[in-house]
Amino acid sequence: MWKYSDVLMDHFMNPRNVGTLESPDGHSEVGSPQCGDAMYLDIDIDDEGRISDIAFKTFGCAGAIASASALTEMVRGLPIEEALQIRNSQIAEYLGGMPPEKFHCSVMGHQALKAAVTDYREKCDALEKTLSEAGVKSVLVRPKRVYVSSEEDAVKAREALADGSIAVEVK
Amino acid sequence: MEPVYLDNAATTRIAPEVLEAMLPFLEENYGNPSSFHTFGSSHMEAVETARGQVARLLGARAEEIFFTSGGTESDNQALRCAVKMDPTRRGIVTSAVEHPAVLETARMLEKEGCTLGIAPVNGNGEVVLEELEKLVDAQTAVVSIMAANNETGVIMPLKSIAEISADEGALFHTDAVQMAGKCPLDVHTAGIDLLSLSAHKIHGPKGVGALYVRRGIELPPLITGGHQERGMRSGTYNVPGIVGLGKAAELALTHLADTVVEERRLRESFEARVKESCPGAFIVADEASERLPGTVTVIFRGIESEAVLTLLDMQGIYASSGSACSTGSKDPSHVLYAMGIDHTLANSAVRFSLSRYTTGGEIDRTVEALESIVERLRRISPYTG
Repeated sequence: MWKYSDVLMDHFMNPRNVGTLESPDGHSEVGSPQCGDAMYLDIDIDDEGRISDIAFKTFGCAGAIASASALTEMVRGLPIEEALQIRNSQIAEYLGGMPPEKFHCSVMGHQALKAAVTDYREKCDALEKTLSEAGVKSVLVRPKRVYVSSEEDAVKAREALADGSIAVEVK
Repeated sequence: MEPVYLDNAATTRIAPEVLEAMLPFLEENYGNPSSFHTFGSSHMEAVETARGQVARLLGARAEEIFFTSGGTESDNQALRCAVKMDPTRRGIVTSAVEHPAVLETARMLEKEGCTLGIAPVNGNGEVVLEELEKLVDAQTAVVSIMAANNETGVIMPLKSIAEISADEGALFHTDAVQMAGKCPLDVHTAGIDLLSLSAHKIHGPKGVGALYVRRGIELPPLITGGHQERGMRSGTYNVPGIVGLGKAAELALTHLADTVVEERRLRESFEARVKESCPGAFIVADEASERLPGTVTVIFRGIESEAVLTLLDMQGIYASSGSACSTGSKDPSHVLYAMGIDHTLANSAVRFSLSRYTTGGEIDRTVEALESIVERLRRISPYTG
């Protein structure tokens, strides 16, 4: 068996942030073609652009599961740009070291995060486009909520976002 | 916590009787059987006793048994030397699910100018005879098909393969490392020309094995030197190893009937209970017509094998998987791949292999452990809803 640190084994045995988020702001499904591992990642982004909630599921070895768990702990509360800067070596360090052969396991977490952020940004862009086509000037757009500057815009926004699942507020 | 060892297809514990038989030859009886003096030459008797013991296990004659360093060497000699016997026969035919000792050797020989045909297997891991037949011709030197597969435990249709080989005048070699001593096997009934076996898979020591060569076949040596083993395999006799192999073969034969029944009973109960208590679990080659009594590969759909092995290991339960996520590129098992099992499923495969020392209590502990391990990992898995 691999020589795993106590911290890594703890993250494998008791992974943090396992599961899914209800209608997440960003979702990704990535796989590692080299070793067949797979990971699903959900993120929510707060008004300040920080990762406010995160959940994952992983198909992989102890190293892959622990790396995913560690990554979610490390990026929670971080602004997106900072979260994307987390390197594999930092994950390994956070886990108290990792066998070099297992370094590749931690790559998947980074890919999943990048893909989830892309999904989040695409959702925001699509909303912005819908709003601007409806003549609404948005202040801040998040996949589940939109801030506008006037009551008048709020009415137009609610009309444009017909499905009602997106909250519209005046700010 | 007592360890539960369920990796007997990898290696086995030395039987106490085997160790006892070997010890004098590691202590006071250290002479060289090839010596003139009686201090050494008297040990030749022990070597010949062992030869008889191995021969009886296979239904062979003593003079048809040659001691080697193990299964890999026996396989190497069978393939490398069979293609040297007749310059018009330079072909090797084997199967897609062979052990690397055969497959890699055959590929090496292909690079050296031999032709190589690899017969496919069906979904149950059995070699497809019609396809094999197409590959064997008058240029084939040797057909090498394993007796039983090390991952799935599937037993190959040896008699039919022997007939296909004989029809074209090719030799039939079988790697019986997993089969010999675990299942009844008679070289004459099965029509086997060359057979490899290994001591450490049947509660004997590591580093010793045998090659059966049917009488009348002039197989050249692989290792040359001091003409031991009638020139077939040079090198000072590994007396303790050979004595250990002989004793292990004798014990295997003594226990064979009971082992077949008891191991099969435990394995079948294990399979039934795993399928019942572990969601997503299924047995590889479940429909194969014949399998080894004590070897099974289980696929735990949706969870990765190394994670299962790690959690088992923490509880002192030792099993194995066909692949290791070790070097950054995890090659799924070539055996499961050849059976048409996809990459993700192959990465969920765990092999459990029993021995005659495996107890019902050990199977109970393993099933209980698996139940909670599978539940734990399925909760983390993206594939299980």
